[in-house]
Amino acid sequence: MRIGTYAALAFVAVVLDATVAPEIEILGARPDLLVLVVAYGSLALGSRPATIAGLVMGLIADAEMPEYLGLHAFSLAVVGFLSAGIWDHLVRSNVFVQCAVLLVATLLHDSVYYLVYYRNHLDMYVRFLARYGLLGALYTAALGVLVFGLARARGWRSISGGFTG
Amino acid sequence: MPSQLTRLLRGNRDLSTFLICAAVSFVLLALPPGAKEVTGRALSGAVLGPFKRVAALAIEAAGVREENAALRRIAAELMNERNALIEHRQENARLRELLRVLVTFPEEERFELLPARVTAMPGGRVVERIEIDRGTEHGVRTGMAVVTPEGLVGKIVTVYPSRSLVEPLANASSAASVVTERSRVRGVLRPRYHAVSELTTWEIDYVPARSDIEPGDRISTSGLGGVLPAGLSVGEVTSVEDGPLTMSVGVELHVDFSKLEHVFVITGTRSGPRARTEEEERLLREIGGLSEERGG
Repeated sequence: MRIGTYAALAFVAVVLDATVAPEIEILGARPDLLVLVVAYGSLALGSRPATIAGLVMGLIADAEMPEYLGLHAFSLAVVGFLSAGIWDHLVRSNVFVQCAVLLVATLLHDSVYYLVYYRNHLDMYVRFLARYGLLGALYTAALGVLVFGLARARGWRSISGGFTG
Repeated sequence: MPSQLTRLLRGNRDLSTFLICAAVSFVLLALPPGAKEVTGRALSGAVLGPFKRVAALAIEAAGVREENAALRRIAAELMNERNALIEHRQENARLRELLRVLVTFPEEERFELLPARVTAMPGGRVVERIEIDRGTEHGVRTGMAVVTPEGLVGKIVTVYPSRSLVEPLANASSAASVVTERSRVRGVLRPRYHAVSELTTWEIDYVPARSDIEPGDRISTSGLGGVLPAGLSVGEVTSVEDGPLTMSVGVELHVDFSKLEHVFVITGTRSGPRARTEEEERLLREIGGLSEERGG
């Protein structure tokens, strides 16, 4: 996948996350399309593009709630950086691995984001993660497996079974 | 120490990129609230604004479609309910009228009346038979007269366990012995079907010339023949033409066969007027009250 294609994908994800994602909620949890794209970027292009994409996408997402401008950007940058490190030590083509990485990436993002958001109410932070965080992470992981499969079918990136660690 | 950090960062571009991104994030987080608001609004409006507006329109349009479909369903249900209510109201009025008639029917002083509902009226332009929902199970027998408050309808010709067929006066083969109430002139009432005009009229046959009959005279059954009881209202004389031997007397029946819905079968005669039950008196009062309310 080229950087240009990835940038377009990221832009589409930002738009969908702001417009469509709230409409596909299940039990109050929604898929985190931004984490999905950042995680895919880290898999397909490596750490730096994913981290930068996380920053930019996060900034646009933060614009919706300017009080925390920079928080999404930071948490997504963390996801981009760390998930690239994770991929390097795993069998990338394994569906379960992809699913697990997406699950962890989403939980990581939510943990960072809501730790700052609920910094004065840690009990609520824990309750929120338990109630919505885990469910949202599962939702994102399930959707991500589909997206990754589609990406592989489109030949954007041969997610080979290399163990590169 | 700074040189070691510089070397580390130069050697690890990924980490450098992440640290720069983190720094940018922290700077933004540290901006004053006003600056964040302006930046956020500008960014959101420029990048997401058009898409959010389009998405909102699409979602709203989908909602309107669903709402429209739901409203159509509700409208159809309400229309059905409305039609059913109208039907029930009309039936209620008919039954109330029937009830009123049943307890105030003048013939009821002399006859035992069995209410029945018309279930079918087979025949073409002329009503050949009328089917009612009462039969032998209810005490109906062949030859019994069938009436409405307006007058004579016909007589029972076929009886089944739970239904019967009535031969109406409109039937071509029907005939009834009648008498004028004022002058007691007798004759036989028969229908005349006019093929050209496709209309049926009624005439009284065998009326001697120069009999005392005038238009407007009321006609009722004479009781001759032993089939129909005497005194049942039939119709009214509409035309009289004197001939050399007999008179031609045209009659208009009181009963409109095309609008029959409920009738009474005369199942027997009474020795004397029947006293109304308390329930009937109560119904009469209720119906009277309702009539006054409607009238008021």
